[in-house]
Amino acid sequence: MTVKRQLSMVLDLNKCIGCQTCTAACKLMWTNRNGREFMYWNNVETMPGKGYPRDYQNMGGGFDADGALKLGKQPSQEDYGIPWEYNYTEALMTGTDPWLRPHVKPTWGANWDEDEGEGDYPNSYYFYLPRLCNHCANPACLAACTRNAIYKRQEDGIVLVDQERCRGYRYCVNACPYKKIYFNEEISKSEKCIFCYPRIEKGLPTACAQQCVGRIRWIGYRDDEAGPIHLLVEKYKVALPLHAEWGTQPNVFYIPPTSPPKFGPNGEELDEPRIPLAYLESLFGPRVSEVLDTLAEARQAKAEGKDSELMDTLIGFKHSEMFKLS
Amino acid sequence: MNLRYFLKGTLTLAFALITASAWADHNELNPNILQVKPGDTVKVSRIPGTIYLRSQNDPDDLIWDRIPSYSTNLLAAPPVHQSVNLRFEEGATRSKHLYFQVARTDERLYVRLRWKDETEDRATTVDRFRDGAAVQFALKDVDTSYMMGTGKDQPVNIWYWHADQPQIENLAAGGFGSTTILEQQTVSGSGAYIKQQITKDNEWHVVMSRPYKASDKYDVNFERKTVPMGFAVWQGSDNERDGNKRVTHTWIMLDTSLDNTPTK
Repeated sequence: MTVKRQLSMVLDLNKCIGCQTCTAACKLMWTNRNGREFMYWNNVETMPGKGYPRDYQNMGGGFDADGALKLGKQPSQEDYGIPWEYNYTEALMTGTDPWLRPHVKPTWGANWDEDEGEGDYPNSYYFYLPRLCNHCANPACLAACTRNAIYKRQEDGIVLVDQERCRGYRYCVNACPYKKIYFNEEISKSEKCIFCYPRIEKGLPTACAQQCVGRIRWIGYRDDEAGPIHLLVEKYKVALPLHAEWGTQPNVFYIPPTSPPKFGPNGEELDEPRIPLAYLESLFGPRVSEVLDTLAEARQAKAEGKDSELMDTLIGFKHSEMFKLS
Repeated sequence: MNLRYFLKGTLTLAFALITASAWADHNELNPNILQVKPGDTVKVSRIPGTIYLRSQNDPDDLIWDRIPSYSTNLLAAPPVHQSVNLRFEEGATRSKHLYFQVARTDERLYVRLRWKDETEDRATTVDRFRDGAAVQFALKDVDTSYMMGTGKDQPVNIWYWHADQPQIENLAAGGFGSTTILEQQTVSGSGAYIKQQITKDNEWHVVMSRPYKASDKYDVNFERKTVPMGFAVWQGSDNERDGNKRVTHTWIMLDTSLDNTPTK
């Protein structure tokens, strides 16, 4: 699907500290009310992990090699996690309940497996993966909608659900392999990340990017050769889409995480990274090692006092250079 | 032929017969009710002005025992979108017997539908789907496509009942994917899930009605000799929604004239 311009985001996973400030910013802005309580348009997952909704990577959806839609699994409420509230008033104010407790028994939720990761000490590992709608060039949600209720804006490629046309069939939820479109049970319509378009239209970055304390997010247009997206995705080629094999052509890109070396049985450093390359390749595709090499070279150059445009960009000195919205 | 082969052959035949009967869903068919096929004409029945309906859309009003009932066979709707096609196989081989009655007073036209449904699916959640039924009328003639009409010049008017809400949606469409909620919601109705001792005999009873006179250009006009009419049923337990449904293939003609209607 061709659009005149495409907004895009790059996230540096080496800088993400998993603080969920982006998640909170998004939730307060858009999803803490009106049937959206269970939704996280932006969330941060611990990888390796089941993700949100639970095990979404094995739910199917997306496209096959011939470009035909694949049938996926419809996530259940339990897969998302049923939101719970605490009895703060009764437990802390009136004292009518001796215990502070949730109103439903929590059995699963977003971030349930936070910081678990994989591997055994001293070679255990994990990293954080913030996820939002990829505003794909070939959106599976859009292809799956029988009513043309989902559209991609010509001016910036943001994918939106026309709430007037949506009749709540949930084909889009099934088709999005990233499960980043959600069914609102209160209004019987689907809703999703809107890339904070009311902010974008005022020249402001998305709430998740603005609030990010690790300054891991860059926003800009893909055709802006002077902007950060072009530099990271096209020029230095260090930003990769998540699960490109699902066929939706994401416009959110990730700089894969570097990791310290693995320890051998006698505590010696081995010549292999703590996070297995094969695992990273299963997420970000075959170019991961090439990207990690580029990052190591640029980091080394900077350490030696040489100039590195790539490192200077990744440090993210100024918001004005990280967000190029015109 | 020895006995073993004979038995095997008989069993195969018996199995084939059982399968065939399940395929045609005969246990849902009441042989004492007139079967109507697409292309047939049914006549609207009169509810005499002297009869007082305690509530307008009671799906179990006694009056319905006095109104002629018809049955018709609903078949899987042909898929017109890949999302529907992906989910098509499951329901494709099963038909559904729908019982319907059409009656009018001087002021209103009523459609009552009954069908068997083992499960009462009222919820619409992230992964659960509601039961539903609809009546579709062609605003123009019988050459309108029964698949949601033929463009904006030959639209259809749809009355859509679904189990999670008491309201009836008054819709219009001119081709698949174009279903639109009309500004004037002139159709009312209600549904009741009637439980029986044998669960598979449980039934939905639904009544929908509208003032006889059309008040919008997309409200079907009953003031003509015949009106093309079709039905659809969605089975929530089979995740049916949108084009995943069973429908009348082509049209049943509704004769709206009241002359010679026997008063019962």
